[in-house]
Amino acid sequence: MFRPAAVEDSIVHIQSLSKIYFVNQQEAGAKATVHGIFRRKKTPVQAVDEISFNMAPGEIVGFLGPNGAGKTTTLKMLSGLLYPTSGTVTVLGHIPWKREKTFLRQITLVMGQRNQLVWDIPAIHSFELNRVIYRIPPDDYQSILKELTDLLELGPLLTKPVRNLSLGERMKCEIAAALLHRPQVVFLDEPTIGLDVTMQRRIRSFIAEYNKRFGATVLMTSHYMADVEALCKRVVVIHHGRLLFDGELALLLQRFTSHKTIIIQLSECQADLKVYGEVLACEDGRYTLRVPKAETARITERLLADLPVVDLLVEDPPIEEVIDRAFTEWNK
Amino acid sequence: MNYLRLIGVFFRVNIAGELAYRINFLFSFFESVMGLGFTLAGMAIIFSYTDSLNGWRPEEILALVGVYSLIGGVIRVAILPGMQQLTESVRDGTFDFTLTKPEDAQLIATFSRVAVWKIIDIFLGLVILIIALARMGSVIGGVQAVEFLGMLLTGSVIVYSFFLILATLAFWLVRVENILTIFLSVYHAGRWPLSLYPGWLRYGLIFVIPVAFATTIPVEALTSRLNWVTLLAAFIAAAVLFIVSRAFWKFGLRHYSGASA
Repeated sequence: MFRPAAVEDSIVHIQSLSKIYFVNQQEAGAKATVHGIFRRKKTPVQAVDEISFNMAPGEIVGFLGPNGAGKTTTLKMLSGLLYPTSGTVTVLGHIPWKREKTFLRQITLVMGQRNQLVWDIPAIHSFELNRVIYRIPPDDYQSILKELTDLLELGPLLTKPVRNLSLGERMKCEIAAALLHRPQVVFLDEPTIGLDVTMQRRIRSFIAEYNKRFGATVLMTSHYMADVEALCKRVVVIHHGRLLFDGELALLLQRFTSHKTIIIQLSECQADLKVYGEVLACEDGRYTLRVPKAETARITERLLADLPVVDLLVEDPPIEEVIDRAFTEWNK
Repeated sequence: MNYLRLIGVFFRVNIAGELAYRINFLFSFFESVMGLGFTLAGMAIIFSYTDSLNGWRPEEILALVGVYSLIGGVIRVAILPGMQQLTESVRDGTFDFTLTKPEDAQLIATFSRVAVWKIIDIFLGLVILIIALARMGSVIGGVQAVEFLGMLLTGSVIVYSFFLILATLAFWLVRVENILTIFLSVYHAGRWPLSLYPGWLRYGLIFVIPVAFATTIPVEALTSRLNWVTLLAAFIAAAVLFIVSRAFWKFGLRHYSGASA
């Protein structure tokens, strides 16, 4: 059973953290646009709403939630980029937004959608820059560079201009650049976004290895269920800025997966399958049905007996759906 | 010490970046030579009608053109690119990476981008300055030389601080590239001695957009026109503006951290 880390031995400690943004609203239409130049309507948006959780040393925690849930905002507060509206955070005993150098030397932030490597030149130059910025002693630098090069298979990539690398190759270099100073706390915001399955797997196993080798504490967001399943025993789920769940991933799936998806291939979309379950879609005779988990076996059996089924597939609902469901449950 | 090392590495990285586009050096070279050529041609036309412009002799104006090109080079090499990069990175969010670094963010923002090829402007400026000095025939004393170098330094600091203040506005306004370009246009006014301009413009070039500190005043030091009041004022202005710009930058950072998405 999952036990939350005690405050005193936790690396990351978050208590009642909130962030409210004031967003400029821009309305459509010429008149509204002209008006908007002079006076803008500021609307408060509660991005993070009273969330609390702790992380133990060496833990990898999956930070889940749909787009706009407040994950990136939270990561930015944890890495010192944003001031919270209220609440307290300590990471390695520091208050992140004070941005003390001793704190910044021990953490890193990787954002899958943003690059820090200089575009026109080989990544090794950007590495060199980070070496000086983080004041990494030459010997340490050589050994960590070699280690990262081996683990991520960077070899020939380091001397090619970054703009000539594929997305996956670039991401590997980005991750290496962010880890040269051997941070103890690693914040990963969608590190595998847009990568193909092979590259996702490579990055995933690297994160696991880095965590094991250096005992680093990792908080990562991802929309890919496979990332979360492979790396995170524990997940924290937020939605509309509020914490929905904090505990073992298995428990989350078990609790909120009340349905399964059955996909069957028929010759065309003529049949009426409502009696078997909720029809989510049909395309070229390929039906997607949502059925209660407990009845999956019985309904599958009936489908096969009643219909000329060419192909049949039973799937767990995607993580997004599970989270969505968790949120609906929470609201009740 | 680490600051100097860091600036050195930034230069190395930028040279590597520019070497990827060697042909750009040629364009850059022609741009510099043509810009300077037109300035010199304008000067030549004016001095074909007169020997002295409001008390300034041709070789003194030539020295002014040299300083104008020199400081213009400093702006284009080391000030403008960093400030443009700053506003870009605020807009696309990569400024976040600067803030997670355990080093002064202003230092990183200033030197992360330098336009190495534009060093040609500094070089051409020096050549013209040397020609002008040779033509003046007067011996430059040690005091004058020190004053001149001091005024070049204060002028650069003032221009840098002013740019930093403008670029810091990006934390609120996001897109400020045009403000930076406007400053560059006003800088063109520095090609001529301040005393040629009408009073309101003269004050404007000192107090509103302090271009005069970077061009006319260093040359005044060289041509024995500088009085100690101006000298002192320039030093104080540089110190005050630098402190104010840094305070404003820090204020901007706090706003960015409080509001950015």
